[in-house]
Amino acid sequence: MVPDVYAPFQIKDGELLMDGDRMVLNAYDASAVEEALVLTEKYGGDVEVICIGAAKASETIRKALAMGAAKGYHVQTNGDESYDSSSYAQILADFLKSKEYDVLSFGKQSQDTDSGLTGGMVAQLLNLPYATNAVGLEIEDGNLIVKRQGDTGQEMIALPTPCLVTCSNDMNEPRIPNLKGIMASKRKPVESIAVADMDLDAAALEAVSKVTSYSPVPARAAGQKFEGEPEEIASKVAQLLDTEANVL
Amino acid sequence: MSTLLTYVAISDGKIKRSSLEVLSHCKSIADAGGFSCEAVIIDENASTFTDDVQKYGASKIYTVSGDAFSQHQNGSLLKALVKVNEAVNPALVAFASTESTKDVLGALAAQLKAGVVADVSSFNFDGNNVSAQRPMMAAKIMGNVDVTGNPILVSVRSGSYDLNENPTTAEVVSLDVSVDSDDLRATLREIISATGDTIDLNEADAIVAAGRGVKDEEAKNLISELASVLNAGIGASRALTESGVYDPSLQIGQTGKVVSPQLYIAVGISGAIQHVAGMANSKVIVAINKDADAPIFEVADYGIVGDLYKVLPPFIEEIKKIKN
Ligand SMILES: Cc1cc2nc3c(=O)[nH]c(=O)nc-3n(C[C@H](O)[C@H](O)[C@H](O)COP(=O)(O)OP(=O)(O)OC[C@H]3O[C@@H](n4cnc5c(N)ncnc54)[C@H](O)[C@@H]3O)c2cc1C
Ligand SMILES: Nc1ncnc2c1ncn2[C@@H]1O[C@H](COP(=O)(O)O)[C@@H](O)[C@H]1O
Repeated sequence: MVPDVYAPFQIKDGELLMDGDRMVLNAYDASAVEEALVLTEKYGGDVEVICIGAAKASETIRKALAMGAAKGYHVQTNGDESYDSSSYAQILADFLKSKEYDVLSFGKQSQDTDSGLTGGMVAQLLNLPYATNAVGLEIEDGNLIVKRQGDTGQEMIALPTPCLVTCSNDMNEPRIPNLKGIMASKRKPVESIAVADMDLDAAALEAVSKVTSYSPVPARAAGQKFEGEPEEIASKVAQLLDTEANVL
Repeated sequence: MSTLLTYVAISDGKIKRSSLEVLSHCKSIADAGGFSCEAVIIDENASTFTDDVQKYGASKIYTVSGDAFSQHQNGSLLKALVKVNEAVNPALVAFASTESTKDVLGALAAQLKAGVVADVSSFNFDGNNVSAQRPMMAAKIMGNVDVTGNPILVSVRSGSYDLNENPTTAEVVSLDVSVDSDDLRATLREIISATGDTIDLNEADAIVAAGRGVKDEEAKNLISELASVLNAGIGASRALTESGVYDPSLQIGQTGKVVSPQLYIAVGISGAIQHVAGMANSKVIVAINKDADAPIFEVADYGIVGDLYKVLPPFIEEIKKIKN
């Protein structure tokens, strides 16, 4: 669950003002859910989803259930904690340590912060083999085969299960829940537990990184726009790149 | 004395320029604050890069070599970084943000119980804490972040700092790290190398980026020709990497790469925030788009409103003339 990056916002005295109700399913997590559904449709098994967050998180969980997940877990927060990836990783690892699973599927990053840390942290805390930035998943002889987008090429990695993977949105086009899925989602189980009721040391949940204020991105100087005869404007801009911008 | 350790990444047998940018910045923080600036190279042939790394001011360079580091694998890199941390006990470890460092940063932070902040565009260290700036909300705003921990791990977007030579004679310390299958836990079966262009987009001085407007071979050829005249790397929007028109490693934006060349030419790209997030720090931006209202024009220094099939041929001709 992340704030909608398309929602209007304002920065006032370093504070970010935006509609706190405009929360959406993180695009990378939508891809993680989609791929999990595709794999279980093909090979059997169930998809369960988990979200840590305040009351609003239940809507995000419903969305994943409407896509086809079988069950949801809502780990409730008050919403006023200043958690970071490391706090969420601690909570997730604690919650998951007693659960059974073959694959833990994460988004490669949160769309609003682009941190990209939680997946690797949970893998390490649970001591699981893992791969990040997956653009394709398959199952072969009980291994999860990950196609990972690396710096210069794609790596094919075999992970024994249980394992963890973080997903890119380049993996698939997440399905839009249909009416039937939405109706069915209302009857699907969602278990709730409050972070406060978990056996977690408050100090371990302390964020290691805290956003102290927000600033606008420095604006680029206004540019020049050329309309007219293609030949003329094309050569005009080429000349300006040479004489004015000095980049040729 | 606190140590600032920069991880110098090697990719395809070459030092990633972005990690030397980070090293240059760490050197200036170290000089200002009286810290020690050191570096670590983890690669099959790590020792062959020490001469180049000491040009950027590292007083001590740790090397970890061996077959285990011939290809990126998170298990081996993670183990090496943990060992190096034990040996060096740095206050801060700085990385250039690449897919390889993103692959280990979270796990390393959890393992070391370290403070961590990823993908910053600037940072400073006061001896205890890191203060950093990082783009958020698809790079529409900047977050000012304070980070605590020991050590603190920081990854930095490419192009955030200039290269700054500062030659020293470094002490080179080689560390032995053995990697076995328990460390790897996963099997790297194969690497499918990117096809076509070999210019590293993070290091390219110029990039020609193609979007959905580039519909056919004719348009692709025009893109290639423009790139070759400018000695530019070719990049692409998600629309074209998704449909397989260009290799996935060429994607520029929030999901793809963040680049900051001297010259970025966006051809047939609408300028979605997720694309702009990856290129808005380019020095000079040119946009070619037939829709005068396309949002890409809001970030362009030079906007050409027109059909790319009609605009590119004379544009290429004129640049050729200027270049001669
Ligand atoms: C979480 C998330 C992450 C994303 N990450 C990325 C990313 O990393 N990189 C990325 O690029 N996108 C990313 N996207 C997708 C992004 O939102 C856009 O969908 C994508 O950038 C659109 O690509 P485009 O501009 O090529 O295509 P379009 O938006 O379809 O634009 C095509 C443009 O070409 C112009 N055009 C058409 N024909 C011609 C012609 N003959 N001459 C001149 N102009 C012409 C049109 O006017 C139009 O403006 C992401 C989306 C999400 C949700
Ligand atoms: N509050 C949360 N609840 C459930 N999953 C989360 C939460 N925060 C992060 N994650 C997972 O971790 C991924 C990466 O998070 P981040 O480190 O914030 O970029 C997300 O895509 C999610 O899959």
